[in-house]
Amino acid sequence: MADAPVSTNSNPPPLVQTRGLTRVFQSRAGLFAKQRRLAAVSDVDLDIPRGRVTGVVGESGCGKSTLARLVLRLLDASSGSVHFDGTDLASLRPAGLRALRRRMQMVFQDPYSSIDPRYSVHDAVLEPLRVQGLALDEAANRAKVESLMAMVGLNPVLANTYPHQLSGGQKQRVGIARALALQPDFLVLDEPTASLDVSIQAQIIALLEQLQADLGLTYLFISHDLGLVRYFCHRIVVMYLGRVVEILPDPTATPRHPYTQALMQSTFEPDPRRRRTVTLLHGEIADAFNLPAGCAYAARCPGATQRCRSERPKLIHPDGIEQGHSLACHHPLGS
Amino acid sequence: MALLEVRDLCVTIGSLQPLDRVTFSVDKGSILGLVGESGSGKSLTAMALMGLLPLLGGRVSQGSVRFDGTELVGLDSERYRALRGRRIALITQNPMTSLDPIQRVGAQIDQVGILHRGLTAADARARSIELLTQLRIPDAATVHGQYPHQMSGGMKQRVVIAMALAGDPELIIADEPTTALDVTIQAQIIQILVDLVRQRGLALLLITHDMSVVAQACDQVLVLYAGRIAESNTVEAIFAQALHPYTQALIACIPRSGQASGSLRGITGIVPSVASYAGGCRYHPRCSLAQARCQTEVPATQVHNTHRIACHVATAGAAHG
Repeated sequence: MADAPVSTNSNPPPLVQTRGLTRVFQSRAGLFAKQRRLAAVSDVDLDIPRGRVTGVVGESGCGKSTLARLVLRLLDASSGSVHFDGTDLASLRPAGLRALRRRMQMVFQDPYSSIDPRYSVHDAVLEPLRVQGLALDEAANRAKVESLMAMVGLNPVLANTYPHQLSGGQKQRVGIARALALQPDFLVLDEPTASLDVSIQAQIIALLEQLQADLGLTYLFISHDLGLVRYFCHRIVVMYLGRVVEILPDPTATPRHPYTQALMQSTFEPDPRRRRTVTLLHGEIADAFNLPAGCAYAARCPGATQRCRSERPKLIHPDGIEQGHSLACHHPLGS
Repeated sequence: MALLEVRDLCVTIGSLQPLDRVTFSVDKGSILGLVGESGSGKSLTAMALMGLLPLLGGRVSQGSVRFDGTELVGLDSERYRALRGRRIALITQNPMTSLDPIQRVGAQIDQVGILHRGLTAADARARSIELLTQLRIPDAATVHGQYPHQMSGGMKQRVVIAMALAGDPELIIADEPTTALDVTIQAQIIQILVDLVRQRGLALLLITHDMSVVAQACDQVLVLYAGRIAESNTVEAIFAQALHPYTQALIACIPRSGQASGSLRGITGIVPSVASYAGGCRYHPRCSLAQARCQTEVPATQVHNTHRIACHVATAGAAHG
């Protein structure tokens, strides 16, 4: 684990801060269907510290990708706020937002779903500079593309190839080069390795680690894989059905929330001497359109009580546990 | 005796040979993990065992597949059909490739019992509901009457497992059965499969690219690379002392808990396509230990007790003293 940046005064303020961040989606009412309302992200307070890797982990439908988009204001919040380096993103007009976007970029799971397939690697890597009006003459552009490709471990001879000629790992390297083109401080990585083979996933994670260390970047890393998040991240945010249920201050911290523990037990180790004991459950993930009044995990939780079903636990820092460790549970484990 | 015995299996499709002399066996009550990256020939092996190569325009060109003493290579299609779904069942990665979207799932499970085991409609239905209940599906009678689109991915995969079990098979081939599922659901499905093997004495061929799934569930491991065996052994031996550089690299791709940051490596390059296999050892262009002879000479498979390995650099039994 990289050490925290040494600071003589007290902790520097976080680079990104969300307060009460909420996003609601509404299904359209139809002839037979009533309009339905889904809170993809509910009331999230999150501090993303500078120069560190913050991981957000959870299963499908937990709101982690919506959170990623809200943090970059690729989606507007229904309520709550996002501050980037002290600036409220909601207060910015389009020109101001575009200028700030130079500092915050995103790496997608499938980079080529957002890149024109007729673009060569050269065009794709240069596109962010063109959009920002920063493209130069041809020779300077070529040099810029070459240096970005070298940074992400792509051979510059690939500059004139097209996406269908590239492997999945090479495409993701192009996606990372694009994200780095504007020299951002902050990268949101939305499942950047989820569709890659494990061998390629490990290469991409190694590259992202090296870039983070070399360039002092701040990452928000979104993943469904707790094993990967524990390896890669300094801080871990666990989400379940739109809410943060636990924040682990470091990857070795012991989970106190039963859901985090279930995730941990479902994450297998590459070691047959450390097999997990998997408890077979009856419950399924609750319907996101129809969330219960209490804790959303109560239906699957072996320790749920009447209180859990009626009263929603708040995310707090309970007494007697590590600094920076918060959780939303009426009956934390080990207490 | 092994329930399934595969010896020197070679598959050709047109002028290409995507599978080259693959040998393994699966015992009753045990789980063999077939592992490798995409393009290593894992799913093709499953198709060959199921007698489904003609669908791909391929055929077994050499070798033998013996199931409970019967040779399956060259078996006529009628006798193969009597085995498939009855004594040998296949579970695929995407449950929707096995489920009919416009038929209630219960009817689809019932059909297996009616066709393969001669059950009456009422008996088949009772049996299907019993299987769904055993797979921890709450309110199985209701689920029995639902359509696939009304279910989550994990639920659909359980229905597919119930369909596989409805014929009361002896061998299940599960091709990446949990890859598309959430982690907590993946853990549940793997545990259900392990319990079935232990409780019913089934044999399971579990195809996966994920060494952590292998470590959790399997008894034996076979590592394939570009259509050839790299190494095979018991799961304990593979993880304690993998000798093939490819096996070692595959294991090192999964971060262990507590692993220091900056130490994850991956494997450089990618699996070649079948039309562009390298000469000699097919792994040599990606291998950090490759020597001159690895480029020209195909390594022979060496056997030492449970250990099989095809590598010029590592030798079978080397670590056994």
